[in-house]
This record gives sequence, structure tokens and C-alpha cells, in this order.
Amino acid sequence: MAVAWALMFSSCASLDQVTGALGKAAQAADDAKAVIEVGQKLRSGFADITEEEEYYIGRSVAALILSKYPVYQNAALTQYVNLVGNAVAIYSDRPEIYAGYHFQVLDTEEVNALAAPGGLIFVTKGLLRRCKDEEMLGLILAHEIGHVAAKHGLQAIKKSRLTEAFTALGMQAAQRFGPQELARLTTMFEGVLTDIVEQLVERGYSRAAEYEADGMGAAFGARTGFDPKGIVRFLQTMVGDKSAVSGKGWFKTHPTPEQRIDGLNKQIAAFGPVPAIDAVRTKRFQQFFATLK
Amino acid sequence: MKKPRSLVILLTALLVALAIAAADIVVVKIQATQLRKNPQFFAPAVVALKAGDKLEKVSEANGWVQVKTSAGLVGWVHSSAIETPKFALTAANKDMKTQATATEVALAAKGFNKQVEDSYRAKHSEANFAAVDAMFLVKVSLAQIADFLKKGRLGDFQGVK
Repeated sequence: MAVAWALMFSSCASLDQVTGALGKAAQAADDAKAVIEVGQKLRSGFADITEEEEYYIGRSVAALILSKYPVYQNAALTQYVNLVGNAVAIYSDRPEIYAGYHFQVLDTEEVNALAAPGGLIFVTKGLLRRCKDEEMLGLILAHEIGHVAAKHGLQAIKKSRLTEAFTALGMQAAQRFGPQELARLTTMFEGVLTDIVEQLVERGYSRAAEYEADGMGAAFGARTGFDPKGIVRFLQTMVGDKSAVSGKGWFKTHPTPEQRIDGLNKQIAAFGPVPAIDAVRTKRFQQFFATLK
Repeated sequence: MKKPRSLVILLTALLVALAIAAADIVVVKIQATQLRKNPQFFAPAVVALKAGDKLEKVSEANGWVQVKTSAGLVGWVHSSAIETPKFALTAANKDMKTQATATEVALAAKGFNKQVEDSYRAKHSEANFAAVDAMFLVKVSLAQIADFLKKGRLGDFQGVK
């Protein structure tokens, strides 16, 4: 018995398989419902949220962000930002995501960038104004892709809320929810969204999460062929800023620019040789950004 | 009475779990992707894959997994596009596999899904889903990304003049 337990709990993967096995074994014993409950209870943490669930959570988080900020209407610039972002995504640790990465410019002078779960990423006009070349933009988008790859948004969901939701989801095997079940799950969904939006927009990620996203972003950017120092040059535009926008967005929700620059310089130095900025990219960047009003 | 039954279930589970490990089945977890000839995003496509497609793992290299489809086609998918099934049982025999897959489908349809989103939307008119849907209308194809990388001397095209 002890050997059986040791084998079964030797890894997360085997635990998942055992969860499935439990469901099947109990079906054979004509006791499916109880076992599905057991299986769902084992689905307890943010890492157990499925790719499709992350997509639906991300869509609603994005809908709430887009209720706070208007969209900047500039089709050519939006297409360009989507090309830069998707190029970086391919060289990230999470190139494939449920419905692909999508990027949107927000019409506000606040300096900010936000990543909803599922790969819906926002940058503000105020942030874009500080970018002087494609490397800076590429590295900012890479930082946000880092948040998505590390699932920092999903980690904001309170553990008790996830436990409650997974338990409720395991109560029936029917494919569609009944009215009562749906009402209960919608309330839980609202709670999940509140947790994430509060973290993204109000409180900001932990310093550890920001430093992690900085490191991942610098690595993804360098792999794409961008000069990773682009993010350092961007952060230097924020040092000592006393403008009306300081105190909002990236100013508020991140460690200080000086702290981040220090951390990034160390991380980038550890990469060894890195790509250099290329005038070809800066030229096309300037063409698109000439349309930024 | 519960204890002996639990023991039987656990031992059965252990046997099936071990059989699953031997089978090495993976499932596509994203909406759509391609089976590729080589382990690179810009390699030629072998066949289109969609969420739920089951594949047999052949080998792994640098974040890519070589797989075989049910039609016998072999190619590569990125590891971020697939997962080890949580509820599928692939051991024993074909009938068992079919039943387990049905269970998996039933469970997969649950969770935070379109039905929950629709219910949320009905209660929250302030949430701007129209703008979210518009984001998904902006599409960049792999060919466009390849062209963008090439012109910017980036990615697979670094150093190409």
C-alpha cells in the first residue's frame, strides 16, 4: 500500500492520471459521480485551470480593462504592434496559446501595459510615446508575454475561490449547466475576475513577479533578435519623472525604474553576446509611429 | 466497508496510470495549430490540428514534440500546444478507451466556458466584449510574421541581408 501511494504521488502528471483512473475505476463500479467529485477536488490550484478556461477568464478580464480605457483607433499602428508582439511570442516560452496572442493600443496618456490571461495584451498611447525604436516596443511586449507565460494573472485568484469553483464544477457530469449551477458559477466567475483585475489595474503584481517578467522578457526579446537593452533604455525615460502621469500605471504597479534597471543589467550581462539595434527596424518603427497622434 | 473498496480503486488506478505512462498519448489543448514537418514554426505544415486531437508521442527535442496522428502522419508540434490528458484512459482495450474519451469530453465541456461567459455578459453590460471581439479580428498570419522578421533581420532570419 505504501508503495502504491509513493508511486501515485511521485509527480503532478501521475496524480492527474490517477485522477482519471479513479474516475474510470469508479465508473466500472457504477459510482461515477462520487469519483468525479474526488477528481475535481484534486484540481485545486491556478496551474489546473485549463487552457480554454484561461481563454474565457482572459476575455472577461480584457472586457473589464476595455470598459476603463478606450481603444486607440489606428489600424496600421495596431497591425504593427500585433506583428511585433506575435514575432516575440514565437520566441517565448509559451508560443502557442489557446486562441493566439492579440495586442491593443489604449487611448490614454497613462504610461501602462497590461496582460490579461490567455494572451490579450494592452499598451497605452502614453507608453508608446516613450518608445524611440522597435527594440523598446518589442521588449515591453516581451515583458507582458512573460506575465502570460508565467500565468501571473491566474496566480492572483484566491486559492479558496478556486477550490470552491473546482468542487462545484465536479458535482455533475452533464455537459451544460442547469440554471442554479450556472448562477452559482457565474458568481464565482465574477470573484475570479475581481481578483485578477484588482491585481492588474489597482495593486500591481508582486515585485518578484515583475522581476521574473523582466528576466523572461529580456530573454524572449534577445531570442527574437532584439537588443534586450531596449527595456533598460525605456525604463531610463521613467527615472525621476515628475509629470502628471507618474503615480499611475507602470509607475505605480512596478518596482522603481532604478531597481528594475539594476536587475536587468545583471540579467542581460549573464546572457553573453546579445543582438544589437538595427537601423532597418528603427526606420520602420518611425514610419508607423509618425501616425501616433 | 469503505476501506476495502478504496483499496481496490487505488490499485486499479495505479495499474491504469502505469499503462497510460507507457502509451504516451498527448492531446492538443489550443484551438488550432499545425503539425509541422520540422521542429520550427516556419517549417512546412503536414496537417491542421485542433483542440482535443489525440496524438502519439514519438520523441522530444528543444521544446518540440514529434508525434504521430491517428491517420499515421508524423510531424512536430510545440510543447505549449499539447498536454498529457487528465481524464483519458488509454490502457486495456479500444472499448475502454472510447468510454474514457467520452468522460473526458463531458468533463472538458464543464468549467468556465462560453455558457458562463454569456451568463456573465448578461449581468454586466459595462464589460466591453465588443472591443474584445474586435481584438480577435486583427489577425497576423505566420507568413506575415515571417516576412516581418525577415525584413527586420530578426528571429530565424538574423544576419540575412
